[in-house]
Amino acid sequence: MSTPTDIATIARWEVKKSFSMMSRDVLPLAIILFVLLVLVTGFTAQTGLHLQDGMYRVGVDDPQVAQLIASDARFSVYQLDASTLNADRNAFDVIIVRGQGSSLGTDKANAALKTLSRDYGKYVNSIYNTETDLFAAYPLWIDSESVKSELSFLSTQSGQYISAAPSRVAPVPEGIVQNIPTPSPTLSITEDQLRAQLVQSNAQNTQISRYTDVLTSSSGMGNFKTPSQLSPPLPFDSIILVFIFIFPLYFTSQFFMMSIMNERIERKGEILLSTPVKASSIIIGKALPYFIGMLVICTGLTLYLRAPLLILLPLIPIIFFFLANALLIGMLSRSFKELSFISIFFSTVATSYLFFPSIFANVHVISLISPLTLIVLTIQGSAWTVTDYLYSTSLFWLTGAVLFYIAAKNFKDERLFSEKPLATRVREFLSEILPPKYPFTSLFLLSGFSIPFVFMVQMMCLVLFFNLPMPYSLVFLLLFAALIEEFAKGIGIYTIFSRDAAFFTWKNLVIASGATAFGFLVAEKLLLFITIAQISDSVFGSILFLSLGSLWLPLMLHFAGVLIVATCLKLGGKRWFVPGLTIAMVVHCLYNLYFILGWLG
Amino acid sequence: MAWLKGRHLSIIAKKEFRGLLNERTILLAVLLQLFIALFSSFLMVGLTSMYDPSSLSKYSHYRYSVAYTGNDSQLLTYLQTSPDFRVYRMDLSTAVAALGQRKLAAVIYMPDTRPDALDPVKITLYTVQNDLQSAIVDVKLKDIFLKFEQTLRQIREGRLDVQPLPLQIPASTGGGDFYEFVYGLLIPLLVFMPAIISSALVIDLITEEYQHETLETLISTPITFPEMVWGKVLACGLLVPIQAGTWLVLLMVNGIAIQNSGLILLQVTVSSLILIMIGTLVALHYRERTAAQFIFSTGLVVVILLALAVPSNPLNLLTRLAVGTAGAEQWLVLGVVMAIIIALGYVTQKYAERIAKDHMTG
Repeated sequence: MSTPTDIATIARWEVKKSFSMMSRDVLPLAIILFVLLVLVTGFTAQTGLHLQDGMYRVGVDDPQVAQLIASDARFSVYQLDASTLNADRNAFDVIIVRGQGSSLGTDKANAALKTLSRDYGKYVNSIYNTETDLFAAYPLWIDSESVKSELSFLSTQSGQYISAAPSRVAPVPEGIVQNIPTPSPTLSITEDQLRAQLVQSNAQNTQISRYTDVLTSSSGMGNFKTPSQLSPPLPFDSIILVFIFIFPLYFTSQFFMMSIMNERIERKGEILLSTPVKASSIIIGKALPYFIGMLVICTGLTLYLRAPLLILLPLIPIIFFFLANALLIGMLSRSFKELSFISIFFSTVATSYLFFPSIFANVHVISLISPLTLIVLTIQGSAWTVTDYLYSTSLFWLTGAVLFYIAAKNFKDERLFSEKPLATRVREFLSEILPPKYPFTSLFLLSGFSIPFVFMVQMMCLVLFFNLPMPYSLVFLLLFAALIEEFAKGIGIYTIFSRDAAFFTWKNLVIASGATAFGFLVAEKLLLFITIAQISDSVFGSILFLSLGSLWLPLMLHFAGVLIVATCLKLGGKRWFVPGLTIAMVVHCLYNLYFILGWLG
Repeated sequence: MAWLKGRHLSIIAKKEFRGLLNERTILLAVLLQLFIALFSSFLMVGLTSMYDPSSLSKYSHYRYSVAYTGNDSQLLTYLQTSPDFRVYRMDLSTAVAALGQRKLAAVIYMPDTRPDALDPVKITLYTVQNDLQSAIVDVKLKDIFLKFEQTLRQIREGRLDVQPLPLQIPASTGGGDFYEFVYGLLIPLLVFMPAIISSALVIDLITEEYQHETLETLISTPITFPEMVWGKVLACGLLVPIQAGTWLVLLMVNGIAIQNSGLILLQVTVSSLILIMIGTLVALHYRERTAAQFIFSTGLVVVILLALAVPSNPLNLLTRLAVGTAGAEQWLVLGVVMAIIIALGYVTQKYAERIAKDHMTG
């Protein structure tokens, strides 16, 4: 049989198997639950989500005001006369006496005030929207124009402002000044259209639609806004995208995970493995139905939301990445509990990686490290380039591919049906892709292929530490970046060492360290030149990827790091892996400090 | 009804705990919590600095350079008197070119429209695309624009038909930006997460006995089938306050004050039993993980959505307890939850007994 036929056969089996399992008595209940889900969603949409009810206590003396405030369930409104309110001041977050509000001054009271003024603003707008003379109610309109910066964005991201220190005289631009046409003093849309937009945007500000805005944002009105509409985009909007697109993907990949796990428990996998079908064909065949299924789900969702189909492009690498991880988790875990916890852990980390950068979608280019940002941009109608796509998805493609390769190499009896602890199994999995015949070549390749993972984890640290005040973020990033790199380089040596400690004669040790360091350097440079050039120009990037300049220095650094770890292993045994890593990390940090901050010199 | 022996329950519960500890999966769970806690607190710092830049000291004394172009107006005075801005009178083309080179933070163009004109005043605001600083400047400019809008509105007041109910709400003095997000979303979700994890765990524990075919060995000991089931429910139930408690401690370490933490733990633990028992029933019915988890997670969404649609639901109660506005109604909710638990418990017991009987006879 040829490989494509094998794959097709196994894919068909997989579909048949899951359907026969499903139809037993899952399907009827699933349909009932689905109908219930639709009903409950409708019911909840009608009654609203009662999660934040009664958070704040407000005391009011006027029944009309009380009625106005009570329309927001977040407030428990007490209507009492002014003297009682003043006497019992501390029982309320906010009191409103004769139309004058006053707060307790706590964080909670401040939050109550903010919610209150938002509610009041909405109420005022609802009155103003009905005014015959719209421009008496809304006399000021702002047309936002964005100017593309001629300097790289990176100069400001570290918190330093490049704008010259404020001076008495107006700044003078360099070079030729392009003539900017004088903006038209009138709005290009009619009063009625504006009124419709105002009514719509006022109605939108409800609890649920606050999150759904991003999906239905009608940018047909141009950039005209009233001052109260002028605010940075709500970052929580992308929460909804995470749930809509990522959750079903995660859900489906669970089935794949379970299918792999079941093969192992029921030992059916053995029969499959005894056939002449290649392991890679089995894996691809088993993954294919899930891949297609996820793609269909995403397409369906996209069509349902009437979003451009372009958003499927950034979703495909995410699907690929999820499947690769699901496969490996299904192969690694020994019990259902372990499967649950590892998959929950994986999904949380992956979701954070996808979600946290994307909330800065309109604010900062760093958000592009998440493919989700491309989705947000597409839905907003902003364009992105092929470079952007490569930049945000290449790590997903590469790590997915490497994981699939590791899984394919390990898809055989002794790995699938072993009951060893997790860490040992991970080491065995790695050991499998380091054939004893070609130790140095495989170390070179392993450390090369660890680069996408290193970048991914470092990107995560970048996101994580980006929000810290400046000196701390640098310090943390410095330490973690070094640790991650040293760990990635050391893991191959450690794997070979625990398999065959005698292999490491001094000569082999030096060659192995050299191969690892060289592989790391080559892959790092390759990936950098393709994608990450943007980030690597910043202060942060220079810590992560310092070494674009001369090549022999970083090679020496990588070599020294691996050599330290390897020597520690040789002299002290496996226990010395962690201390070795620590020493290597310190050396790495010192090197970075020397070059970035010019210390020691 | 066969009586459950406490000793047997604890044997099973201990066995499950040992399993969790042996596999070190529980470590993953704790690591996960730490990870999320770290991320949320960093997120807070990031968001706060984005929305309320003055909360970070390094931004507070910074004056942004803006260019004012076009015609004179009250807005120019407001900008000049603001402590946040340094205003330059410039010509539009030069100003925009300087903005592109980041020598300015924003450029404002004012047309020749009189304040009392029939037409609106349409100003044009130029800022740098995709930039953190622009976001901050936007927030600061917004206040000034609002002030200017108010001035214009007063000038045109005579042309309004209806006046809204007057209400003076003092500007809040910093802080409290993410209070609602933290207390009204983060805390209930995080504290309730252990309940969801535990109910998924009980499915794993029960289906594992079936799929690994270890059930026969267990039943051949003096431990009865219902005892085995309840032992697993107990183990999962005990995990909830431990994990939820960890959350509360982590949140408090992050400087988020939480009131009534004892009552919160009580509410979470009790309501988690509903989910755990639903999980148990589903697992007993399907005896196979994929199907059971699938049905359970779909059912879970239905149950949680339904709960959220009801006022004073347990999740809302968690929010209210955390901010200290929960009243006596919490005991009523607890009572209702207890009643549901007793009903579910009865069903679980009967079901387990029936399975045990089928097992003996068949």
